[in-house]
Amino acid sequence: MTTATRTPVRLSPRQAWEPLPPLQWNASAARHLLRRAGWNASPDQVRTALRDGNEATVRKLFLQPSPFPLTEAIKQVDEDRLTYRQRVSDAVDVDDRRRVQREFRQQNTAAFQDYAVKWLDFASRPENAAHEKWVTFLQNIFVVSFDRVRNPSQIFQHHDLLREKGNAPYPELCKAVSRSPAMMQYLDINRSQASAPNENFARELFELFILGEGNYTENDIKEAARAFTGYRYRANGDFYMVNRQHDGGRKTVFGHTGNLTGDGVIDLAFQQPAASVFLPTEMCRFYLSDEIPPPEHLDDLGRAWRRANYSLEFLKLRFFTSRLFYERRYRGNLIKSPMQFHLGLMRDLNLNVPPYPRPILTPYRQMGQNLFNPPNVRGWVGGQVWINSTTLSARRSLVTTLFQEINEDRLNADDQAALRAAREHGPVTLYVTRERLRQMADSDPGVIANRFINYFLATPVTAEYRSVLTEFIQSGPGNRDERLRTAVMALLQSAEYHLC
Amino acid sequence: MKKIPFTRREFLRTGGRGLGMLAFCQYAPLFLTQSALAGAPKAEKDRTILVMVQLAGGNDGLNTLVPFQEPNYHAFRPNLALKEEDVLKVTDSVGLHQSCQPLHQLLGDGKLSIIQNVGYPNPNRSHFRSMEIWETGSDSDRYARTGWLGRFFDNACQGAPDGPVGIHVGNEVPQAFLSDKTHVIHGVGGGGRRQQQAAHDLLQQLTGAGHERGSNNGTFLQHTLMNALATDERVQTMMRRYPASVPYPRTNFAQNLSSISSLIAGGMETRVYFASLGGFDTHSNQATSHANLLRTLSEGLAAFQADLEKRNLDSQVLTMTFSEFGRRPIENDSAGTDHGTAAPLFVMGSQLKGGLYGGAPDFNIERNQDIAFSTDFRQVYGTVIERWLDCDAGPILGRKFDAVDFI
Repeated sequence: MTTATRTPVRLSPRQAWEPLPPLQWNASAARHLLRRAGWNASPDQVRTALRDGNEATVRKLFLQPSPFPLTEAIKQVDEDRLTYRQRVSDAVDVDDRRRVQREFRQQNTAAFQDYAVKWLDFASRPENAAHEKWVTFLQNIFVVSFDRVRNPSQIFQHHDLLREKGNAPYPELCKAVSRSPAMMQYLDINRSQASAPNENFARELFELFILGEGNYTENDIKEAARAFTGYRYRANGDFYMVNRQHDGGRKTVFGHTGNLTGDGVIDLAFQQPAASVFLPTEMCRFYLSDEIPPPEHLDDLGRAWRRANYSLEFLKLRFFTSRLFYERRYRGNLIKSPMQFHLGLMRDLNLNVPPYPRPILTPYRQMGQNLFNPPNVRGWVGGQVWINSTTLSARRSLVTTLFQEINEDRLNADDQAALRAAREHGPVTLYVTRERLRQMADSDPGVIANRFINYFLATPVTAEYRSVLTEFIQSGPGNRDERLRTAVMALLQSAEYHLC
Repeated sequence: MKKIPFTRREFLRTGGRGLGMLAFCQYAPLFLTQSALAGAPKAEKDRTILVMVQLAGGNDGLNTLVPFQEPNYHAFRPNLALKEEDVLKVTDSVGLHQSCQPLHQLLGDGKLSIIQNVGYPNPNRSHFRSMEIWETGSDSDRYARTGWLGRFFDNACQGAPDGPVGIHVGNEVPQAFLSDKTHVIHGVGGGGRRQQQAAHDLLQQLTGAGHERGSNNGTFLQHTLMNALATDERVQTMMRRYPASVPYPRTNFAQNLSSISSLIAGGMETRVYFASLGGFDTHSNQATSHANLLRTLSEGLAAFQADLEKRNLDSQVLTMTFSEFGRRPIENDSAGTDHGTAAPLFVMGSQLKGGLYGGAPDFNIERNQDIAFSTDFRQVYGTVIERWLDCDAGPILGRKFDAVDFI
């Protein structure tokens, strides 16, 4: 039983995907787009967006991703991988061999953590926000996990593939993913051979990448699995085909018979009616709402997407400029993922992601999103599943740490060194200083409260919320600096800040 | 200003905006559904409690429990080694750092056990990873997604969902608390109590005020937050109502222990508390900073123990320290020490056997080698789980570890 009111979608299926009328492109709409597509909506971004217009803003957000450079630690681990087998066989005894193996495993983990932290920093930057969030959306479709793959280079390569082909036709992306070493390992394609086809990948391809459950038969999976036999990759990640392990025989998938290849199977899957609505539905879940728009509406979008040869660029443009996306019922009521919460905080407070893993990766785990390690092949469920007493407590703790002065002398020596290195490339601010708070609040309490609310919250609050905040800034306990600090912290911990 | 109602009766009386309807929705706060079970058993008052004290950064065990008779100790540390006359003797061959006077006293009284040279096979020297190993209780080549205390909660703490099973003082939720099932974990923030109270009151008011057009997600968040705030409220009230019974040092660490003592005195159903003291990564000019850290630790622990004794709670509480690793026997060129392996850990409480346990470090090593551990940290965990928390350690640690006989 729920008391939430369901405002029906008032747009017809056709109207839903028409471009938003220019008159409705206002600051509130711009903030909605910026928060949903990226991590936050800063006033200058909103100003620029209003000046550029809706479509140009979406194009700018999504259409030219910056490359994310391979990290030094991954390069090193890749180099050491070349001699790894030799070093293992050169080991003088069992203990020595175990030591070599252990050290290499540790090196891989350290390189992965370093990559995770560097990526967060990269993704937090406004110019990368929408692209990188899109990459995480695709990661939640094409799920792999470091815990299973255990090779940071392959994880990097997988993410980079999603970045590079993030605007390509979706079938092309699917074909590329079937050759991604991380995916091949995660879903066992690299061990699948003609004599014993492994159905894992074929099943997920239909169920989780292209069609969704119920839109294929068990026989389709069995036959399709035969087409993906013989797929292998080299140590450097290059794909190759082992013809004698590939089943080149006749197969029947979705009623079509022929000597199908893996790519052929993917093309067939995209001829199925379900293909045109599966990804758009996932997009709605990720970007729009827990309540998916009605099937007729999704059909309309799907038909247009299919006509556009499943171009992801087209889909993003159509989706983020549509009247439906800006509907009032979809504003300010999506529960932030831990990443959205964390990176949103970084942007909202003008802070930098610390250049070392401890204060980052542990909170992510506590908040229920073990970074790049989704719990299973389905990825993160999201929505209300993100929130329980433990995860909420972790979110509140994270906010508190960002307002606590850090005594850098007390940091571990490695962390101090990482900080020094990062500062060579520019200032690194780890917590909210008194000066920063004062800059945000140089006015009278009512104005400050309004500014905080408008700046931080995506959800309109009650007049009472506003007056409670104003009153506290005016006459709460402690001196003015303490009051400001407490006010912002409480606001960031309040229920409303978990929504976007 | 209006407050959120925090009891069932108060709640039902409130016809206030938004709140009335919440009573009938699926996300009714736990305290409502809980109190519906009027006869639900109260938490027992005499359950055992564990307080974990994390020494973050890697405590130099060799200058904490000093093997002053060991020639190699002096040979490896020409500048940092402590001489016989500078330590508080425990036996003819080992003594505590001078800063540990209060702990030395507790040892004499039989309220302190020292487990020597604790570590694990194939040690990792990364802070992050080694702390993760200690907190998850995993082998060094395995990755566990839950903490050892989280697994204790999973195994032993069903049926008490309204109160926190674990409370950490300080802002970071310890990895040791990560569990598969959902439990109430509570954080008591650092910072002054006055501001904490102010922050709590403000958040409570904001949560009550809420947002326009209550969406399903918004209401759900509001309710989950209300539950957390109800716990906050209890915690704050207890800290006010049960102030320390003895003077504590003015350090943050001691104040945090004082908060824990107040909560225990207030009858919180929590079984595990977690506090942390940082700064042990002493790569350079170690002598002074390490002495200060050990003083902070010892004085804080001793005040905590004295407080518990005065309140007659000491028989209920066991306090244990741990650190991600010890430090290298050989000193470095910056008058400090680098990451090492095993180190001693302290266990404090009135119900202990007291004294020294576990094998001493073996110094028959090369100059830049590390000490091999003699007691696995999971032997200590296992002992605490079985003999103190009265729970089967098997499902928590994954396999059987020999007990250490300190309890």
